[in-house]
Formats: sequence, structure tokens, C-alpha cells
Amino acid sequence: MIQLKNLSKIFRTELIETHALRQIDLQVKEGEFVALTGPSGSGKSTLLNVLGTLEQFDDGDYLLDGQSVKGLADSALSKLRNEKIGFIFQGFNLIKDYSLQDNIELPLRYRGLVASERKRRVEQALELVGLAARRDYHPSQLSGGQQQRVAIARAIAGEPRILLADEPTGNLDSLMARQVMELLEQINRQGCTILMVTHDPDQARRASRQVQIVDGQLSDAALYDPLAIKTA
Amino acid sequence: MEQFLYYLKVSFTSIKRAPLPYALTILILSLGIGVFFANATLYYQLNSDPLPHKSDKLFFPMTRMMPHQCHDCPPPRILSYVNVQKLSATEIPTAKAAMYSTDGYLRLDSTKAPTPVSVRLTQPDFFRMFDVPMLHGSVWQDAKARQELILAKQMAEKIFGRSNVVGEKVLLDDRYYTVIGVLDDWRMLPRLYDANNHNYVEDTEQVFMPLETGYDYNYLSNTQSHTMDDTDFRQLATQGRTGALHQLQFWVQLDSPQQQQSYRQFMANLVAAEQKAGRHPSMPNNQLIPMRDIIQYFGGGSADIKAFALVTLLFLGVCLLNASHLSLNRYLSNQYEFSLRRALGASRLQLQQQILADVLLMTLCCALCGMGIAWGGIELLNYLWPANRLFGRWDPTLVAALFVLTLSASYLVTLYPSLRASFGGLNQQLKE
Repeated sequence: MIQLKNLSKIFRTELIETHALRQIDLQVKEGEFVALTGPSGSGKSTLLNVLGTLEQFDDGDYLLDGQSVKGLADSALSKLRNEKIGFIFQGFNLIKDYSLQDNIELPLRYRGLVASERKRRVEQALELVGLAARRDYHPSQLSGGQQQRVAIARAIAGEPRILLADEPTGNLDSLMARQVMELLEQINRQGCTILMVTHDPDQARRASRQVQIVDGQLSDAALYDPLAIKTA
Repeated sequence: MEQFLYYLKVSFTSIKRAPLPYALTILILSLGIGVFFANATLYYQLNSDPLPHKSDKLFFPMTRMMPHQCHDCPPPRILSYVNVQKLSATEIPTAKAAMYSTDGYLRLDSTKAPTPVSVRLTQPDFFRMFDVPMLHGSVWQDAKARQELILAKQMAEKIFGRSNVVGEKVLLDDRYYTVIGVLDDWRMLPRLYDANNHNYVEDTEQVFMPLETGYDYNYLSNTQSHTMDDTDFRQLATQGRTGALHQLQFWVQLDSPQQQQSYRQFMANLVAAEQKAGRHPSMPNNQLIPMRDIIQYFGGGSADIKAFALVTLLFLGVCLLNASHLSLNRYLSNQYEFSLRRALGASRLQLQQQILADVLLMTLCCALCGMGIAWGGIELLNYLWPANRLFGRWDPTLVAALFVLTLSASYLVTLYPSLRASFGGLNQQLKE
């Protein structure tokens, strides 16, 4: 489903060049739950952003469903993000003066779905995260864990094929973190591919596969991944 | 439509988030637009063409036929009775009318209080040349003197309490006249048939009298008259018709280029013949000025209005810059939301549509505030230049222009900030 071929990403300023990702080769099959781990600054969030087309890459190629995203126009990238990818951010990224319903509906608006379909999907997503009774609440009226569940509801309301989660439990206490992880596992069991950046080894172990990044390169652990070897 | 309403809702939410900067942006932009529009109204109305379909067919002929010698002076702007007779003595024009204006007092009879009126003394062709609409009755059958008046509808209603007063007697100064026609609502602004001496800013007359009657009763022009020989201006009925007493404006309608060429030739022949006969010593200088150029020819354009137009344009520019700055701050503070929307699948085009809703909302607010400020500005201009009071009025074209101006200004103010917001680094913004 996801295939990265020799992908590199360099951040440039006037003075220095930082190689954030170096010749990454990675393949993720549909339905996998992949944990991206590594030390801070190793490039795991950058990789996630490249996968979510929030960042451009400099070299190599990125194939999503067999199609290269390289050189796609803004409208095509937006459509791709909207229809195939769901995002869960560490800081939730909810719009504070919108109700939960409005927040979850936001990506559906840009897909051109009719009101009844949007409503159905929002309700379904809220049911799944257990916040159906609070659809008219605002984010500030919820706890951190609940806000992250709203963010997850927003991510899955569009029925994406890939869920990209950037340290989704980073701002939560252990109880709430566990609830969020259980929710992600439930979503994965329903067939959604998940790539999750995490620092927490326990959470990483709950994923079906771990990929480690060090200094912008996949570490040995990842290279020994059977699927990666098969691809090579 | 549903999506557009959603965009409007998003705009309202954004305004609610920071109402003060938004109000300030609206205020600054409205101020610039209002001040500019107040002046633009006067400029537009003063320079408008009241008869666009025939302003290039109505001509004001002038010749340097005068008793004294002058080789570098322009031809007189007003003509003598005898010169008008000579310039009229041809069938080339489709229509022709001499005219001047005077003042008088109108009343139903001597028992009633008199109403001061402005009177235009003219000839029958005046009404069809300048598209004057008749409500009741008709114009004079010919250009001869007669005790007959034509009244403006407003004046008929004021004197008689009704408009259909054809056949009624009315007292102008100390003589009774029969009303033979009543004009429909009519106001020609600018009043280009009387462009001399800035008279075009005045209102149209309420009473129309045959020119010959005016001469018979010694009505002298109330705007400009000039004697170039020993003619006694008090003897208008006699000497005024033969001497060099200049007080008439004269218009001819020349519909085709051939007519215009023929009339020019006619003028040239006339002046040459007059010079040959020893009736004027100056070198010929004939002018045939179309109505649309008459103010410019007479140099009657208001320099104050032009200067003020430039100042208000600069002021609008300054306001646009300030409003842009405020708008940029507003958009940058909302950058995070723009980036989030893009991350969740909004294309730049969809963001631009969102911004367009923002622009329309701003246009509506600025147009309403701008109109209020413009109205105040026009009141101020009327106070400063009362002569132009008739020109501070809006018509559908002007109001449409205000909306187009406001829309353009709002879009200009929003364009750069919106582009910044649409093209910002997604990942960076979402982290902040």
C-alpha cells in the first residue's frame, strides 16, 4: 500500500543543510499497524509528514496504492489527503470555537459530501469514540484524552485507508493513553492501516510491526524486517 | 450554496475571534472608500454627459464678428442678436435655437404673493434639441414673439396646484401670459446648454418664454451681457436687435459629418463676406464646439474638485495599505487554522473560495459604512462648495461603481494575506 523508494528529505537554510531522511526504503502492507520509533530528532515525524504529503521530499519516490505522489498538483494532493489519509496529531489540533460535530465534519466538507451523509459519518465516528452525547460540546469542555478521541473521530470520519498518528498519546496520562491505544487497535482491526510515531516502547510493542529510525535512516531492526528484505 | 453559507459561517467565526482588528480594518477601508467616493460622486456628475446619444451632434458656433479689431482674442462666448440672425440664416442644421436667461416673479394674479423664478428665453427647437419632455400642451409654433409661456411641472403645481394648466393665464412680472405647455419632470445636469461662466452647475429653469418676447419686453440677461459699441442695453427691443450687444447663446444640431462640414463652410463664407463688407475688422476665427467639449473649451472644469480627487485617491491608497497590514495580521493569526484545513484536505482553491466569502462579507460591511461616510463627505462638500450642491447625488451606476470599488479594495486588502495563508508551510504551522 505504501512504498518508499530511496526517499530523502533535506531541510535547507542559508547556512546549513540538514539531512532529515536518507535514502529510506520502506513498504507497508494494507491493514498493518506500524510503530515508528527512534530518538528525538531522528526524522520519524518528518517521515510521517512526508507520508501524509504535508512535506515534500527531495529525492526518491513515494508510491501510494501503486501511484507516485511525486509532482502531484496541490489539488490532487489535497484530494489524496482528504480521501485516503487521516491525521492524528500530538496536540490534537482541534478548532477551539467549533463544536465537536463541526470539528469532525471539517474534512468531510471539503469532500463535497451531502449534509445527510456527513451527519451519518460524524455520528458513527462519535459513537466509535464514545462521545456521541457530547457532539455539541466544544474542545475546551473536554479532557485531553477526550480531545484526542475527537481528533481520532475526525480522522476516521472520512473512512481513510491510512491513519497517520504523530505521538497520539504524547500529551496524555497513562490511563487515557491506554484508552486511545485501544481505540487505535480497534480501528486497525477494522482494516485501517496505521502508522504511529511513538517514543513509548510499550506502545510500540502493541503495533504489529516496529520500524526504527536513527539519524534519518531506517535502523538495522527495520532492515531485518522480513517484508523489507522481500522487497529488496 | 450550502458550502458558500458554510464559508460565511467560518468568516463570522473568525471575526468573532478578533472583532476589534476586523472592525478597525472595516473602519479604515470604509473611510478611504467613503472620502474617495464622496469626491468621485461630484467629479462623475460634473463630468457626466446628460445627452450621450447626441452630445456630439449639438454644436455651439462662435465667430469673431465684432466691431473692434482683435487678432489674438478668442471669439466671444456670447453672440449679438444680429450675429445669431446671420448664423441662423441657413437650412443646414437639423435644428437651431438661440437663448439666454433672466429672472422674474411669477404669480397667478396680482392678489397672490410673487414667486421668484428663473426664465429661459429661447426658441421652439430648444425643446427637441435638448430632449425636453412635454407633459401637457405643446411648444410655440414658431420663433415669433407671443404672450405664451411654458412652465416646468413643479412650477405649474406650485402656482396652480395642478400640472395640467394649458390655456390658463399667469402673471410674470407685470404682464399676463397664456400657458401653452407644461414640461414633465426634467433636469439636465450638468446644464450644458448654458456652460458659460460655470452656469452649467445651476438647476434648469422653471419658466420658458419666446426669445423675441424677451427682447420686446427688454429682458436683459441675468448672467452675461456685453456691449461692444454704443448700443444702449436698456433699449433691447430696438438697439439690442441691431447693435453689438452680446448676450445670446446659440446652438445648432448637426447630425452628420457632412452637415458639420457644410456648416463650417457656411460660417467661413459668412465671416469672409462680413469682413469684405467691412462689418468687422478682425481676422476670422470660427469655432464649432460640440456640446460634450463645451466645458473644457470654456475652461469651466473645477480645479478644486480635480485637486481634491487626487488627494482622496492618495488617501484611499494609504487606507488600503493600512487595511492590508491589519488584514495580514488577522490572517497570520488564523494561519494555523488555514494549515489545518489544508492538512485535512482543503485545496488552495477551496481556501480561496473561503477567502472570497470573507471578501464579500468585508465588501458588504465596507460598502454600507463607506456609503455613510460618503454621504457625510458630500454634505461637507456641499457646505464647502455650495455651487455644486446639485451634483452630490447617486444613481444606480454610481452605487454599482461603489460596490465594484469596495469589492476590488476588499480583495486587494485580502489578496496578499490570503496568499500567505494559503502557501504557508503546512507542517510548520501545525506544530506552532
